[in-house]
Amino acid sequence: MQPEQAQISDVELLAAIARKDETALAELYDRYRVILFGLLIRILTSREEAEDVLQEVFLQVWRRAGDFDEKRGRPFTWLVTLARSRGIDRLRSLAAKERVALAGAREPSEQVSDAVADALASEQRTLVTNALAQLPEEQKSPLILAYFDGLTQSEIAAKLGAPLGTVKTRMRAGLMKLREALSNQSASFGF
Amino acid sequence: MSHEDYKEMIPAHALSALDLTDDRALTEHLAQCVECRQELNEWQQTAAAVALTASPAEPSLKVRERILSQIRSERDESITPKVVPFKPPQKNVWTSFGSLGAIAALVLFVLVLGYLVLLRRENQAMKNELQTLLQQNQKIQKDLEMVTMLKKPGSKLMELNGTAVAPGAFAKLAFDQTGQAMVMMSGLPAPPAGKEYQLWFIVADKPPMRGRTFSTDSHGEVMLKDQLPDVALKAAVFAVTLEPQGGSASPTMPMYLRS
Repeated sequence: MQPEQAQISDVELLAAIARKDETALAELYDRYRVILFGLLIRILTSREEAEDVLQEVFLQVWRRAGDFDEKRGRPFTWLVTLARSRGIDRLRSLAAKERVALAGAREPSEQVSDAVADALASEQRTLVTNALAQLPEEQKSPLILAYFDGLTQSEIAAKLGAPLGTVKTRMRAGLMKLREALSNQSASFGF
Repeated sequence: MSHEDYKEMIPAHALSALDLTDDRALTEHLAQCVECRQELNEWQQTAAAVALTASPAEPSLKVRERILSQIRSERDESITPKVVPFKPPQKNVWTSFGSLGAIAALVLFVLVLGYLVLLRRENQAMKNELQTLLQQNQKIQKDLEMVTMLKKPGSKLMELNGTAVAPGAFAKLAFDQTGQAMVMMSGLPAPPAGKEYQLWFIVADKPPMRGRTFSTDSHGEVMLKDQLPDVALKAAVFAVTLEPQGGSASPTMPMYLRS
């Protein structure tokens, strides 16, 4: 019987990718493809667009793994930030007409998924989902519109019909509450 | 905008929600503020957690294949030495013109230099010729003066011959009734240092009367004007001796020329 091989950490994988280790990239892809693809579908509402951007993201990881700095954050944060940035860029590059159609097809209240039937860290998802669900709607909506729809504060203010200053305050307050909720679990979940 | 103002903008920046103006201002501030960069890292971790609320989804297998195929292609490209076919240096028209221009300039320079040398030589030759002409002119002028003097009524012409110490010397002396005399001498050796020639007028029963002192030119020729004493106008002997610089009161033998 073979002893169970210790899993290589994400940081080690990125270091190996920086050395152009193809196997390491494949391993990192297998670990995060579902989370990142789910995020990109959520942003772009199109499998085709999401797959295209997902490919771009991992090609960027291949080329820029050497830029990752462990002191600035976890690999998960780096990957999500990279994927979301690419996703929002793609969303913003789409025609205004299409974008309106995409945004209009979704309601902020529908953005939080209760799907837990996946092999990922469902506990972490539940934790974040719950933390987000506990936010007052006026704080949650700006946050969701910014995060998944890529709207700026002015665009959110226009969409919600709220003063810009109010949107800024609520967005900041919502994210602060989220951070507090997650920080209580940071030891066990690594947030 | 104060540091605190920027800090308040950081959560929105972590969500990429800042409007363009605010975003640019904060980006500039972040480039200079370590504290704010650290704070941004923390807010980005919180923001990244929101991604977990999206429904997980499985991409098609072809995405993985495309990614791996692409990175293999990039890796092979970076490993394969890029062989750049050797191309003979192409002649640039302007470079060619430049080379031709340099050659032309060099040729022109040599030509101009040669021409200048030639001009210099010609100039020197003309200077020499001019000098010769001037000397000839002076001689002609002297001859003319001599002829003019001889044309005067009562003028006389006498010849002085070289003695044993100056056998090649010869002179002609012309004088008019007033005593104005002109002597043209040739063939005299150049006087040694500290010496010069002196003209003498010798009349019987009288001590020799001193005339002017003189030296010779580079050709051993001399043109001299003097005023004869009245007593010398009749039956005088003319002689030339070599004397100390400044002349002597009485002639020092031997004579170089005498009539």
